[in-house]
Amino acid sequence: MGDDMGLLAGARAGDGEVCANAPSPAGPDPNLDALMSLYQKGDFTAATVLIARLSPQLHRFFMMQFASRADADDLLQETWLRIHRVRHTYRAGEPVLPWFYAIARHVRVDHFRKASRAAAREQRLDETPEVAAAIPSVIPGAADDFEALLAPLPASQREVIEMLKVAGMSLEEVARATSSSVGSVKQKAHRAYENLRERLGGARLKKGRMGGLS
Amino acid sequence: MKDRAIDEILKKKAPALRRVDSALLDRVSSAVQSCMQPVRPLPPSWLLAGGLILSCASVALAGAARAGFFGVEKLSEIQRAAIFSSLGIFIVLAALACVSAMIPGSRSRVSPEALLGAGSVALLAVFAILFHDYHTNHFVHAGVVCLVTGLVHAVPAAALCWAVLRRGFAVDSIAAGLAGGTLAGLAGVTLLELHCINFQALHILVWHTAVVPVAGIAGALLARSPRNRADSGSRTRAAGQ
Repeated sequence: MGDDMGLLAGARAGDGEVCANAPSPAGPDPNLDALMSLYQKGDFTAATVLIARLSPQLHRFFMMQFASRADADDLLQETWLRIHRVRHTYRAGEPVLPWFYAIARHVRVDHFRKASRAAAREQRLDETPEVAAAIPSVIPGAADDFEALLAPLPASQREVIEMLKVAGMSLEEVARATSSSVGSVKQKAHRAYENLRERLGGARLKKGRMGGLS
Repeated sequence: MKDRAIDEILKKKAPALRRVDSALLDRVSSAVQSCMQPVRPLPPSWLLAGGLILSCASVALAGAARAGFFGVEKLSEIQRAAIFSSLGIFIVLAALACVSAMIPGSRSRVSPEALLGAGSVALLAVFAILFHDYHTNHFVHAGVVCLVTGLVHAVPAAALCWAVLRRGFAVDSIAAGLAGGTLAGLAGVTLLELHCINFQALHILVWHTAVVPVAGIAGALLARSPRNRADSGSRTRAAGQ
């Protein structure tokens, strides 16, 4: 119990920093495990600390797929509500991040399905292609450099790269979060790198030629 | 371009963590606080998987006890060992796949799709090796009876499996349905092997084996239905407390 109190006190000290300098939960973090156990025991402070620590990361996870910040905010809220409902499915000793990301991924897929259904319905009612084209604001956009770089990759490869290279998760954690095997994650990452190599190599070559011409 | 160079580019371009609206975090915190209660974590995977295996074995044995253990009595020692050990292996694998599918972020040893495919092919291979009577008497009539019997027994097996895993949460409901259906189908085939005395190769190859894919696909379709998906939230809410 003494350790728990120390853990919460330490976590509370950084509570105000819910931004770029929030401690990155990437990699194995025993504190998250202990916080989850306290959360399951009904400790509200532990829940608040978890929300503060993991929200920036989950928000970025949604922002990378959905151009709109409002969508990402909605999804983050929905994710925490779902996490709260199913918090009993976390077992002490298991990696925490894959558990959170698996639920966040589920919320994202649900949202995408609902948006697709809504888009299909509106298309049937109005029969105006302009309306249907305006709806997929949820479809990944090339808003920034990173998105533009990953945009040509298939969704499954993009997701693996985001988790591995942005969230800093291990192969094993990504496999757990995406309900697949480590081999499958490795294969997706390898294919994504092949695609990126081709794309970046092509861009560099083009740049070189342009430089040579000028 | 080397992997390290791509890593550097990705690292440079990766979006930084940004401040999340504090009003949003407050909203989330107050929503969580409004229904904060201690919860009992799920039991270990081996215990859940054991419960599933026990459920399937009970259904198969109860069904065979009611209908008669005629099939197993007529089988040779080698046939018994080969059939029931392969069924046992696939039941264990399907139980583990079911448990993985119902716990977010758990290690996935074998995908439900691969399990269904491999299970069906392995059963076909075992039956093809063990049975060599290629006569076909009442192929369709006798076959449909066996298929229906297997599926009818898969239903209570699936219900028991759902009861064991009712507190879980499927992040991929179709995969969970497929795994559950496959497991229930394997319970149905076990019953048929205990009871059925029709040892014609084609009968066993077609109609007995068909119970597994039919039950698996039925499970996936049931899990895919929109009503089921809409209900899953309220079910987990109720089960979580």
